[in-house]
Amino acid sequence: MAMTTEIRPDDLDALFAGLRADAPVPSDALMARVLADALAEQPRAAAAPPAPAFLTVPPTMARAAHPPRLWARIVAALGGAVAVAGVGSAALAGLMVGFVQPAALNGLTDAVWGATYETVELMPSVDALMTEE
Amino acid sequence: MPRDTTAEAPTEALEDEALLALYARGDPGAARLLADRLTPRVLGYAARLLGGDRAEAEDVAQEAMVRLWRAAPGWRAGEARVSTWMYRVVTNLCTDRLRARGRRRAVTLEEAPEVADGAPGAVAGLIEADRQAALLSALAALPDRQRQAIVLRHIEGLANPEIAAVMEIGVEAVESLTARARRGLSALLAGRREDLGYGDDD
Repeated sequence: MAMTTEIRPDDLDALFAGLRADAPVPSDALMARVLADALAEQPRAAAAPPAPAFLTVPPTMARAAHPPRLWARIVAALGGAVAVAGVGSAALAGLMVGFVQPAALNGLTDAVWGATYETVELMPSVDALMTEE
Repeated sequence: MPRDTTAEAPTEALEDEALLALYARGDPGAARLLADRLTPRVLGYAARLLGGDRAEAEDVAQEAMVRLWRAAPGWRAGEARVSTWMYRVVTNLCTDRLRARGRRRAVTLEEAPEVADGAPGAVAGLIEADRQAALLSALAALPDRQRQAIVLRHIEGLANPEIAAVMEIGVEAVESLTARARRGLSALLAGRREDLGYGDDD
């Protein structure tokens, strides 16, 4: 058996190809850290200077690139579309409670605020000052 | 349900430099796209330079990305490519780390996992892992600049002029570094040709 112990250029290239094919994939935790840094370091949209000329967005992109920037920012800040849906349904639920006023809640509000309202004069009425004369 | 399609769809085709400018103007979609694009490359390069230390490579990747976010507002279009700049930052961060630990982890081939012998084919996956471990060990034993040059050339797939820009040296110096690195690797791996599964064909 002829022992060839030299590592040949082809062998090296094959070794490199193996490493290339097995590149490490960032963990979700790392991606989350990177994204959190990105948003923390990001300049506020309002304070940013106008876009440089080379950035003029092509017409096809303009529709989505400009008007929803604030909205997109809010969505991103709240944690994505799913979170926004959650916030939305919570708001709807609140609105419904306000309209329907379930009996159980009425009992609670009565207990907290008392059944009757008293009027408190926080500012003496102008009448009193006028009539003093 | 696709997430954030309104924010991402229009910017997907943009170059890194344009995305960075959008990021600097406060576009959160640009932040996500840049992170998705650059983090894997930065992590891979750092892992190669650091000898496969995953946790440390993740730290370097995060730190390099933070530097990018901070550089965004002052980024001047046309001055440097984002990818070149990122490679340079990672190169420097890794050099600092290797120096700080005085480690340069004098990894010798003896420390590499034992190469499975005798059963070609049946353990192809294992052999591939052994090959990678052997190459990483050999890479770690190279001088810093040689390792950087050859990783950029053969693993990151950069052309010599871009490597020259990353390393802030001339193209000829890059050629010299990669040639010496290849010779060094061959010498370090010499005698292991059969171990690495290349032995049977002659």
